[in-house]
Amino acid sequence: MTHVDLDDLADLVLDPDATPDSVREHVESCPECTDRLAALFDVRRLTSGEPLVAPPARVREQVLAQVNDVPGDAPVRPVPLQVAAPPPEVARPRRRVPVWAAGLAAGVALVAGLGLGRTTLDDATTPGRDAPEAVVAAADLTALDSTAGRGVARAVESDDTITLRVQASELGGEDGFHEVWLINVDGERMVALGVLADGDAGEFQVPRGLLDEGYLVVDISVEPDDGDPTHSGVSLARGELV
Amino acid sequence: MNVPPVEQTPVLLDRRAPRRYVDGVVTGVRDFEEEQDDVVRSLAARLVEGDESALEAVYDRWSALIHTYALRALGDAHDAEEVTQQVFVAAWRSRHTLTPSPSALPAWLVGIARHKVADVRAARARDAGRLAAAVALPEVRHAEEQSKDDEVAERLVVRQAVEELPDPRRTIVLLAFWEELSHAEIAEKVGLPLGTVKSHVRRGLIKLHQQLEGVRHDSRRP
Ligand SMILES: [Zn+2]
Repeated sequence: MTHVDLDDLADLVLDPDATPDSVREHVESCPECTDRLAALFDVRRLTSGEPLVAPPARVREQVLAQVNDVPGDAPVRPVPLQVAAPPPEVARPRRRVPVWAAGLAAGVALVAGLGLGRTTLDDATTPGRDAPEAVVAAADLTALDSTAGRGVARAVESDDTITLRVQASELGGEDGFHEVWLINVDGERMVALGVLADGDAGEFQVPRGLLDEGYLVVDISVEPDDGDPTHSGVSLARGELV
Repeated sequence: MNVPPVEQTPVLLDRRAPRRYVDGVVTGVRDFEEEQDDVVRSLAARLVEGDESALEAVYDRWSALIHTYALRALGDAHDAEEVTQQVFVAAWRSRHTLTPSPSALPAWLVGIARHKVADVRAARARDAGRLAAAVALPEVRHAEEQSKDDEVAERLVVRQAVEELPDPRRTIVLLAFWEELSHAEIAEKVGLPLGTVKSHVRRGLIKLHQQLEGVRHDSRRP
């Protein structure tokens, strides 16, 4: 049997009274034509609402700036937070209740206080020790509200331990100390590695399992000296280990 | 927190004085539609190859759709801007995953936007300390928001499809479906015979249907 063509089905939507009975009878007895007719009615139902609203011009500039930031689109350069970009709510600095802190309060796993080994600053400033080491991952750190560089973090492996070497830059002169965190790419868990005690460099031993579990986002926060062990919510730099 | 003022540029319905169109435009439209599909197909291909000017063209064509979607779904101008930005940057970075077909491109962008919107919602839920609740009722919450979002997205996809119709079809379809004018009123307004107006409305509805089906189909792809 021949189906009703799309034009006639459209007329059934637009001007049902003018539709010949033969068309109507066929549609009523044909599931396929009934489906197509329903789809057309659906379109008609969806034709309402306000017009599209173009974003402000600055959004276009920001997009192109971020894209141009990767010259020649060379895949070798790690792009911070490419996959696990933090939701904008997280990325906004200076929120009173940071997302993660709220998560922590709600009992989301926090791996702080595991006694993560932390080497002394002296070690941090004397690279090139005896054991051969290999960089297993690196993160370009950037500001959160722009792509401005904020240094680099490297995860190096030697003798079966992972050491995260952080060399930050331009963290600003805000009061407080700089603390290094690893945030899980699930955006829900984080662990404190320690404080950048002197200047912008520091070195932290990390259990290998953490990286495997997805704790890949290096974050540097500024922390007020208030004894509160949770993240202040003010991040100065961030980047994903890749 | 102060949300910066938004310089919104609505894409308004053309309310200029009714123009008189010569009859016979109906025949040329078929070619126009095919041409449009080719344009989108080659745009997608250029994007996949890493042509930045293609990204600009893609942005210029679909940023209003994505931005309006984010705005409706999130109800916050700042978040909507942020999501729009993330969507196009993510589109560029994952362009290799795009299959160049006319409806795949917008479907793909809307798909990315859905994820970004979900990210913002998840962050808000956690931020408000509602994590426990969000964990307890993920399906209900998710399904409700999802179907609302889908409806918003489809409405906007249809609106985008109208905007892309060649005139006078675009104007006629807007008058018929959005302004709810009768075919006779439209004929009067645009100065075309009633039969021509009907034909434009019919072809317009079918085109919107095809565009929507294409986006629906491509959205379902993994
Ligand atoms: Zn049939």
